[in-house]
Amino acid sequence: MKTTNQINTLLFALLSLTASALFLSNPVHAAKWDATMTPAEVEATLDKKFAEGKYSPKGADSCLMCHKKSEKVMDLFKGVHGAIDSSKSPMAGLQCEACHGPLGSHNRGGKEPMITFGPDSTLAADKQNSVCMSCHTDDKRMSWESSHHASGDVACASCHSVHASHDPVLSKQTEMDVCTSCHTKQKADMNKRSSHPMKWNQMTCSDCHNPHGSLSDDDLVQPTVNETCYSCHAEKRGPKLWEHAPVTENCVNCHNPHGSVNDAMLKTRAPQLCQQCHSGDGHTSSAYFGNTSMGSSVNDNAFTGGRSCLNCHSQVHGSNHPSGKLLQR
Amino acid sequence: MNTKINLITLALLSSCSFGVLAQGYGLADAKTDSVKFDAWECKRCVVETGTTGSISAGIAYNSEDDIYSANAFNSSNEVSGKVDADIRYRGEEGYQANVDAHNLGMDNGRMDIDVGKQGVYNINVNYRTFAHYESNSALSPYQQIGSDYLTLPDNWETAGSSSDMTMLNSSLNPLELSLNRDRYGMGVEYQSESLLTTYVNFQREEKTGTKTTSGSIYNQSMMLAEPVDYTTDILNAGIKLRGDNWFTSLNYTGSVFKNDNSQLGFDSAFNPTFGAQTSGYMSLDPDNEAHTVSLLGQYNLAKTNLSGRLLVGQMTQDQSLTSIGYGYDLPADSIDAKVDITGVTLKATSRLNREWRVSGSYDYNDRDNKTQIQQWTQISINDVTGEAEYNTPYDLTTHRAKLSADYRITQGIKLDAGYDFERDERSYQDREITDENNLWARVKVNSFDKWNMWFKGSFSQRDGSEYQASETSSTEQNALLRRYYLADRDRSQIEARLSHTPLTDLTVDFGVSYSLDDYTDTKIGLTESTDTYYDVNVHYAVNADVSLNAFYNHQTIESEQSGSSSFSVANWQADIEDTIDYIGAGISYRNLMDSRLKLGLDYTYSDSDSTTQVSQGVTGDYGDYFAKVHNLNLYGEYQATDKMSIRVDYQMENYLDNDESNDISADTIWNVVSFGDVDHDYTAHMVMLSMTYRL
Repeated sequence: MKTTNQINTLLFALLSLTASALFLSNPVHAAKWDATMTPAEVEATLDKKFAEGKYSPKGADSCLMCHKKSEKVMDLFKGVHGAIDSSKSPMAGLQCEACHGPLGSHNRGGKEPMITFGPDSTLAADKQNSVCMSCHTDDKRMSWESSHHASGDVACASCHSVHASHDPVLSKQTEMDVCTSCHTKQKADMNKRSSHPMKWNQMTCSDCHNPHGSLSDDDLVQPTVNETCYSCHAEKRGPKLWEHAPVTENCVNCHNPHGSVNDAMLKTRAPQLCQQCHSGDGHTSSAYFGNTSMGSSVNDNAFTGGRSCLNCHSQVHGSNHPSGKLLQR
Repeated sequence: MNTKINLITLALLSSCSFGVLAQGYGLADAKTDSVKFDAWECKRCVVETGTTGSISAGIAYNSEDDIYSANAFNSSNEVSGKVDADIRYRGEEGYQANVDAHNLGMDNGRMDIDVGKQGVYNINVNYRTFAHYESNSALSPYQQIGSDYLTLPDNWETAGSSSDMTMLNSSLNPLELSLNRDRYGMGVEYQSESLLTTYVNFQREEKTGTKTTSGSIYNQSMMLAEPVDYTTDILNAGIKLRGDNWFTSLNYTGSVFKNDNSQLGFDSAFNPTFGAQTSGYMSLDPDNEAHTVSLLGQYNLAKTNLSGRLLVGQMTQDQSLTSIGYGYDLPADSIDAKVDITGVTLKATSRLNREWRVSGSYDYNDRDNKTQIQQWTQISINDVTGEAEYNTPYDLTTHRAKLSADYRITQGIKLDAGYDFERDERSYQDREITDENNLWARVKVNSFDKWNMWFKGSFSQRDGSEYQASETSSTEQNALLRRYYLADRDRSQIEARLSHTPLTDLTVDFGVSYSLDDYTDTKIGLTESTDTYYDVNVHYAVNADVSLNAFYNHQTIESEQSGSSSFSVANWQADIEDTIDYIGAGISYRNLMDSRLKLGLDYTYSDSDSTTQVSQGVTGDYGDYFAKVHNLNLYGEYQATDKMSIRVDYQMENYLDNDESNDISADTIWNVVSFGDVDHDYTAHMVMLSMTYRL
């Protein structure tokens, strides 16, 4: 009921927001040429300009004649992409035009398109990214082309800012905000009863996933799910004398690493989770009712109360005790 | 200078010239014949040398006694202090040094110090700490908490039932269940002017604290505080080479885990039963090592990108076995466990033209457990004398193959579709082979003004070899049981996301997904599971200074399972419903008071809830199992002078959780000595005052 009231409050707030927005609009941020050209025309023009290679007469000095007054443009020189002492910086090569493409006739009124980046650019993400990827291919980015973000047409500049001393997404304090602005389900997950400590930025998405893609499933930073888990939970690695088969096979058989409404990020609470695999001729196959009108309570017995199955079988991740087959020691 | 730029340009063009795809604007394809680099002097490029950045210090007050609040507030102390730093030094010729520190001094702090020359070398030293607090109100009669043997008070009197333990209530003392990690690392990377990069990184992590475990003897159990005193060392080293259209690297990763406690012993609180045991011992996680060598490679053709990885590794464990209280001969002092890991991954992606892109991949991963199989006598837990059992070192081989294509129908409409196959081969389990086939398709539409959207659907089917209870695994299981991770399963999923921008500065996102897992051949076990999810998000930039956001997420996961108390056909049913509601709103207001004041307010509320019902003629439920959390964060930052700003943060957490199965006293369950009720119910406040000085 409390939740319903809050939902109603939110809906009212949303409606109010939408209504107020109708009367308060702000100017469009798109580039000058977007007013007169379709995205397809912009792309065709950029293709032609790139093929012609009409670069400026003086490199960055030509560009900065007009763009020097922009603080954002000049912020480039605070970061690595504006470094003038590094042989690996764009400034040691084609300078501004290394990324933004040849000047062509852009300096005559600024109406001719240049390659632009980020959410306001109408240029296809793969075209934007081809500029970045021509330098940034290494072991961390070699799987970009097959990554989830590439196939989802995410532009590098959707997350990264190079005209800055500090790229915000590289800061652990802001990384989560950037990721969860699209990955909303995971934002809810990390606010469930149990989750990895991502809500307070103690852990971040990139501790487990490589946003640039990897050779592993789900763009994990390690070859398998379990090896990703072992990188922080080395104690679970074993190999132990008595292994618990689903644990050895895949941690996510039982856990949801993004969070769960159950304790310990378990997909289902005990004893139900255990009874999804154990139905022997004995206590594992009984129905454990919890609270009933017959007088039984969920907390009056060791099968459902306390730690449930784990009251006795506490070594669910495997045991190295010679008598540990039943994962009790 | 001009000559230098020319040389640099040549070097840049040769080293930056891979990853080039024919339809892109890669540097290697740049037509630079007519560029007169002599005139590119970069006179207007303004790169300032010297030290910039900021440093800040803060002091925080936390009103709450329940230590769980320290997870949100980053400190378990009533008063805590922190230092943040963002200091950058730029010298001549690319020399630089950076210090990044955040929350240093608190429980969730980190610091990185980097010194080097841009594009040549970098030396990094880092520190990171984080803590997780579970409870400081768990109650236990045990003493020597934190050691590897937990004792009961000298005057303890055992009993057959916890409620008859006369010394129990007077012996209970609160204990803290929390874990803290401290990580120290250093690394060096060197890049040559040509193709070569080498790196070495080392990290040591010390994890300390206590966590919950249970020690049991026969059918009696005691909740215990397991000591955690782990040290994990990780070494990464490698060499990378790159050329015009290729990249390769050879990498080594070694991880060595050491546990200061190999076993945990404990006095039994109960009267001795079978075997007359008055104490018990359990093995704790053993010392182990893992070493991996991998070779990565990438090669780019004009339209095609090929990449791959070869990986070999070994995990070993040779900890001496616990023999105290065992009473039988050990076949070996330690098991000398060895698991060999082999992995091969190949990927290819080709942009055939502007419309078509196709991808394919194959992944092979093999876990070969070479631990010797031996006979181990199990301590009697009932009136049957010790049984001999053999360990079952599990092997697992996984093959994954994927094919996909995407087709750009128009500039703003793209269709993706793919087929994924996975085969898992395993030993000593009810089903040795499972095959999963998955078909999926997605359409992305960006062609409408102010609307972006995508829809995705997939269907997968898992089956495999004959499901049988083999002699080595589980002869005692119901023949109708199908373990959910091995069972036949049809999985259907649909997902959609819409983004609407009615005004330039107003965005409304809406997402929805539904998933159905149907375990088609399961009579006993998990039979069906559904997952329904939706969210709505609004972001509105009212003007350059004020922005608002609000969101609501909801998810319901329903599971159905069946069991058989008669060891035959299903005769009971369990229905579980897990829900989460997550709602929040925030506002930020910048440039108040002549651009000196910034204010922000964020509020979130999450409600996790789980209900379980079990029916077999009568129906029972598991009562309340929820966590309801309100978080409020209000901050104001005032720029007092050009160099100095003051910030005040106020955080509030209202936290309430419950688990009826643990609404117990230490002696509620006759054969369990529990930690008692460890639920949380608090409203915690934290105020932090910090001052930032800009260098």
